[in-house]
Amino acid sequence: MPSRILLPLVIVLALAAPFLTANTYFHHLMVLWMLFSLLALSLNVIIGYIGELSFGHAAFFGIGAYTAALIGMNFGLAGIPGLVLAAIVAGLFGFVIGYVSLRIVGPQFAILTLGFGSIIYTITNYWVDLTRGPMGISNIQPLGLWGEGGPALTGARGYYYLTLFLVIAFAYACHALLNSRTGRAFIATRENAPLAASLGIDVFRIKLLGFVVATAVAGVAGGVYAHYLTVITPDVMSLQYVAALIIMVIVGGRGTIAGPIIGALIYVALLEALRALGPLRLVIFAALLTASVIFLPGGIVSLWRRITGEDTRPREAAE
Amino acid sequence: MDYIVLAQQIANGLVNGMTYVLIATGLTLVFSVLHIINFAHGEFYMLGAFFTYFAAKLLGVDYISAAVIATLAVAALGVLANRLFFWPLRKEHEFTILLSSLGLALLLTNGGELLFGADPKYVDSPFADSIVQAGQLVVTQQRVLIFVVGAVILLALNLFIRHSRMGKMMRATAQNPEGAALTGVNIRQVYTVTFVLACGLAALAGALVGPTAMIFPTVGSWAVLKGFIVVILGGLGSIPGALIGGLSLGVIEALAGGYISLGFAQAIGYAIIIIVLLWRPQGLFGIARRT
Amino acid sequence: MKKTRWILTAAAALLAGSIFGASAEDKAPVRIGTIAPLSGPGAFDGQLAVEGMEAMAALINEKGGVLGGRKLELVKYDDKGNPEEGVSAAKRAIEQDDVDVIVGGWFSSVALTMKEVTRDRILNIMTSTQHPNTTKEGHKYLFRLNATSTMMSDTYSKFICDKMGLKTIAFITINDDYGRLEVENYRKLLGQCGIEILGNEFYNKEDTDFTTALTKLKALNPDAIYVSAINTAQGATIYRQIKQTGYQGTTIASAGNMNPKLVELSGKALEGVYSVSLYAPDSDNPRLKAWAEQYGKMFSNEPAFIGTLGAQAVELIAGAMDEVGDARDYEKLAAALKAHPWDTLLGTITFDDIGQAQQNIYLVQVKDGKITSVKE
Repeated sequence: MPSRILLPLVIVLALAAPFLTANTYFHHLMVLWMLFSLLALSLNVIIGYIGELSFGHAAFFGIGAYTAALIGMNFGLAGIPGLVLAAIVAGLFGFVIGYVSLRIVGPQFAILTLGFGSIIYTITNYWVDLTRGPMGISNIQPLGLWGEGGPALTGARGYYYLTLFLVIAFAYACHALLNSRTGRAFIATRENAPLAASLGIDVFRIKLLGFVVATAVAGVAGGVYAHYLTVITPDVMSLQYVAALIIMVIVGGRGTIAGPIIGALIYVALLEALRALGPLRLVIFAALLTASVIFLPGGIVSLWRRITGEDTRPREAAE
Repeated sequence: MDYIVLAQQIANGLVNGMTYVLIATGLTLVFSVLHIINFAHGEFYMLGAFFTYFAAKLLGVDYISAAVIATLAVAALGVLANRLFFWPLRKEHEFTILLSSLGLALLLTNGGELLFGADPKYVDSPFADSIVQAGQLVVTQQRVLIFVVGAVILLALNLFIRHSRMGKMMRATAQNPEGAALTGVNIRQVYTVTFVLACGLAALAGALVGPTAMIFPTVGSWAVLKGFIVVILGGLGSIPGALIGGLSLGVIEALAGGYISLGFAQAIGYAIIIIVLLWRPQGLFGIARRT
Repeated sequence: MKKTRWILTAAAALLAGSIFGASAEDKAPVRIGTIAPLSGPGAFDGQLAVEGMEAMAALINEKGGVLGGRKLELVKYDDKGNPEEGVSAAKRAIEQDDVDVIVGGWFSSVALTMKEVTRDRILNIMTSTQHPNTTKEGHKYLFRLNATSTMMSDTYSKFICDKMGLKTIAFITINDDYGRLEVENYRKLLGQCGIEILGNEFYNKEDTDFTTALTKLKALNPDAIYVSAINTAQGATIYRQIKQTGYQGTTIASAGNMNPKLVELSGKALEGVYSVSLYAPDSDNPRLKAWAEQYGKMFSNEPAFIGTLGAQAVELIAGAMDEVGDARDYEKLAAALKAHPWDTLLGTITFDDIGQAQQNIYLVQVKDGKITSVKE
């Protein structure tokens, strides 16, 4: 099994990567990659495991970012408390919105999440007293351990290790989940909800659980993002990010763990690499995206399967 | 005085609503017949507006002919889009097709930015600034044109789908693609015709709305969003649903913007859709989704 | 079938690889990091701005460049009009591409966040941003060319109060920091001279139809409607739709947002409309004429105010570098810029201690489809 050797190798490489170069811009890209990986992995819980498309995921990212920023600014708790609160607040929103929307499936669910996302965006944009509206919040302090004073993360390298840790932890959690009873319930629900229900699985509860976890993790990613970039605006909730995340998950390979991480890498690296092309950049990006969908409908991870014949799809029933 | 403002806002809303209807009808058609959610639909609206602009400018024809040429040209592009982006993926998972359409949307928007230039453009129409006054109500001729043409086209489309042979084949495919294929329906032809109709409708909307605002290559994303909301509100796959859904969304937005807050108008529109969906998940006129 | 797919994917990977590896080496030009909106809704304004810079750089390079023969080179970044993209672009410009100076800040929201990345690290010239905080919270090496919206509204409101003879006014403004500040300023200034403000409607940067808002404003029956629009497409739509709702009163265009494209797109709706600007297109400044001529040779657009600001930034950078004799000594460059008045294509410009420019503000009016300055 090559993956036995591959996985530790990848982790060692990931740990060593920032020391390969002193170029801080490269570190910045690595942080973005990891942040997007975390977000894509969380969205993958909804797309890949629950089997529904959410157009509202960026809103939870934004809620996390605003929560962490405001907690940091108003209570001086820019650190673990801020991130935990970001997760809780985003998760709470996820619970309410999931509770309301998950009874509905398919395109209607997608539009419901789009509607909720858009309402959250509009409120963020207009509630100037709380969020400073369209001008956003700038000068967010760096991430400390427990608020002000004490050690704080400043360089991109530190944020890289933090986000790498979060990605590995969440990826492991996804892996463990998929191999547990609950995980099997997830897959059964995605493949055939009525059948799963007849087997005694509480389909709605399983879906809600997945949705809340996904939104809470997106909230954490938002919190780290706010402290890292030190500036946020309502644009973090815009459709541009929603589309970007969906692209990462599906181009990488939905329902897998490596897929969203690879998808995030391709997104960040490709856009950066194409910068030299100037105005052609987004056209080429779109063309490559479309070509990859048409020629590799199973995502980039399906390439691996073709090479090794190994099944990377965790228990995906024939469609 | 107040009643006049109210009536004026409703008139504004109905015209905006009719453009939503034209956009949404194509979307709902593609969904009901082919079960495809087409994210690139708004780009055909954008192309409709730009083609009208270029037809008028390069061929020197008047606005009406330019709009007709643009509609036909974009409808023809629909054949190509289907052949390259949708037909080959018809057996893939719905998410794959959706992403393919998202890719097509990005390609058309960014390609449009490159080809047409970043500068905003204005589709000149003799009706744009001519005002029709009914009592104290003020509407431009262009807006009257949008409403009338929209209504006529919808009626024609309805007749086509109900009574023509192709319309019957489309309905058969919508209900049961495998069964339709077995009874001799040419599925490939159904795909083509559906895309031609959908793209043509979107382009017509673009050609009509063009003269009421400036056009730029990113207008499509706005159009597709509105289209989706209307489609879901009215019920996926239902043409009467698209009509009622579109007109009501237009009026709701105008009244919410006029009497509550312009900034929140869109959010209020969304809130109403959420309430409707929770009450009737299949939309106002939809039939429950069969799995 | 499988094989073709393989070849295509491999080709895509190769393409991506070759682009990543590519980078051009030249004999040490002075590199100006240019961060502007090049895609999205602000793309056209960004294009005008960058074209203005290109024309001025070409003019200076023709005469032998700066610092004894070094050419000026623009390194362009797209901020999409979005603050986060602006931060990323500035990071890349400084940390990866190692540019010598940065010119940017066309939109206030981008300028306000970008300046934190450039803070005390690099000479940063902000161009069209009008928000006072850009320079108020600025840094050692930060300069801003445009007048703040407060300075603009001080001048403009005097004219509106004294010359236009209005009793009532209503506003339609963009919902962002710039728009909100405009309303605040004019409420105070116009209120002082007895003009009653009947109402204000905020619109969003993604809106394309304004009939709802305009119907509301028209019903208030104000003597004038003040339009604050920074985006050319939205501006032209609003001006046209004002007429299309049958409004007969006066239209006033916000300060600093008048350009030839806007006039062309708005048609008759802008005829006779006033605005204020740092740029008087009919000025006979020879520097301006040389630049406009060069611009005409290089680009098909008509030169616009936003382009003159870009050109002025390049002109000042070149001037300061030649005076100091160094492209990187930011202390000296900043001191030189603040030390004395500079002659530029927009006339004489001086900077105060926080890097805020003082320059002439002209009243302009659209006459026969041309922007002309109003002589008093």
